[in-house]
Amino acid sequence: MSFMLYNNKIALVDCNSFYVSCERLFNPSINKKPVVVLSSNDGCVISRSTEAKILGIKMGEPYFKVKKIVKENDVKTFSTNFSLYGDISRRVMKTLKQFSPQMEIYSIDEAFLDLSSLKNENLLEHGYKIRETVLKWTGIPTSIGIATTKTLSKAANYIAKKEKSGVINLINSKKIDNLLSGIKINEVWGVGRQLTKFYIKNGINTAYDLKNIHNSWIKKNTSVFGSRTAMELRGLSCVSLEPREEKRKNCSVSRSFGRKVTTLDELSEAITTHCLNAAEKIRLDGQTVKKITVYIRTSPFQIKNNYYANSKDIDLPIRTNDSIMLIKQALDGLKIIYKKGYRYQKTGIVFSGLKNADTYNKNLFSEVNNDEKRIKLMKAIDHTNIKYGRNALSVAQARLKKEWNIKKQHDSKIDTSCFDFLPTVKIA
Amino acid sequence: MKVLLPFHLNKVGAGFPSPATDYVEDDINLNAHLIKNIPSTFLIRVQGKSMNKVGVHNDDLLIVDRSLNPKNFSTVIANVNEELVVKTFIKENNQSFLTSGSKEIKDKINLTENLEIVIWGVVTYVIHAV
Repeated sequence: MSFMLYNNKIALVDCNSFYVSCERLFNPSINKKPVVVLSSNDGCVISRSTEAKILGIKMGEPYFKVKKIVKENDVKTFSTNFSLYGDISRRVMKTLKQFSPQMEIYSIDEAFLDLSSLKNENLLEHGYKIRETVLKWTGIPTSIGIATTKTLSKAANYIAKKEKSGVINLINSKKIDNLLSGIKINEVWGVGRQLTKFYIKNGINTAYDLKNIHNSWIKKNTSVFGSRTAMELRGLSCVSLEPREEKRKNCSVSRSFGRKVTTLDELSEAITTHCLNAAEKIRLDGQTVKKITVYIRTSPFQIKNNYYANSKDIDLPIRTNDSIMLIKQALDGLKIIYKKGYRYQKTGIVFSGLKNADTYNKNLFSEVNNDEKRIKLMKAIDHTNIKYGRNALSVAQARLKKEWNIKKQHDSKIDTSCFDFLPTVKIA
Repeated sequence: MKVLLPFHLNKVGAGFPSPATDYVEDDINLNAHLIKNIPSTFLIRVQGKSMNKVGVHNDDLLIVDRSLNPKNFSTVIANVNEELVVKTFIKENNQSFLTSGSKEIKDKINLTENLEIVIWGVVTYVIHAV
């Protein structure tokens, strides 16, 4: 495949241990200590400092499993503080934007930059400049991988993180095959759990193996995504940068309970709250919902016969973003899957099939009811909640106590975008 | 995103139009004036004692720009002994120091000798309630 285009130069900038780095920004006392950030309701480890990684704390591990390590090593733990992480993320992205107007924000802590206008010999230096600027302006350390395709830039980034070199440029690198054979197949961008199993069964263990597999074999045995990944590893760009911010296609809210929950009443309360949060988000984006999924489950670590998990999809006859309609449907679904006698640990909802609210909305089954009044009511709720804080106005079903929700025991309570929770300094 | 709408002074009428309507007035925007570099600028609140000589008092709001390098006598935020504190940055005979605004020698921290001390950001404005 010698006709391929090698002109693309793509950098993937990824923040190191992003949530931990945000917590460290205003709290230098934890700079050299092991630190972890826990998911909502202090369920699982979702960010680890290098020191915490060395102690053997794994990504995604439930907190109770690492509690012993945490105690014995004085690991500093934090609950998520997403308003802080969101603000710092926006700052990082704004800083990156000046280095390339062609940029795709890939996640809260990652962005692809198109650096095709630069000469190859200047790329490494440019990478270091980006890294230095982001660190100085925002206080967040990053790693940067530069290559001819998105998949390769992900791989380069992986190596930069592993070698702690900060910046790696794979373009025209003689070491590229050598480096790719050091990347396990499950670490390759776009290779999920199922595909990993399949590849390993067929003797494809590294990124290098996948790069060299015959095209016709890949096309025959995997989906179009499989062959795309292989071609990208060879340097043929198949996945282009998406600079536009795409609207979400689905919206999910879930939470692990602070304690085990058994009654339908409490589950209903949680589902109602989740629906309210998700409905507010999609209304802000001007979207409507076609399908609701409700799910509940006990702890997967529960002894076998006490484990129960189930979900229910509800197809809505008419798209809506009306909280009251959505809650009603979701609670109907919950009643169908709820079983007495289990200690539930988690429940959540997914709104899917999201589309712009202005898409044609009515059909044969539409009632000619008080649509306009309802839209006004939802607007009033959203405005009130933006002004006076979430849950200032809610529906009675969500209740006020939320006993199931004992979240954020280790919250740092700093918010760089809110006057009431600004970081503080002392005069010494 | 916040969009500030231009504010028109006059209604369109039949008579002689006000010559001032050509000057569309923007709402005054303190952010635009006080914040030069948005991604690198943070608001930080002072807690505890005051630093009267420098004009920084308890509960003041500091506008801090991380992208700037300190000049002689800049008010800065620094990481000293694992804590963020307000200090004055001083340059003397090619050496840099941090002080608390007093002239006492023991108050001076020599940055060239204490490399673990880093400047977190430079204070550009102090907002003080009166």
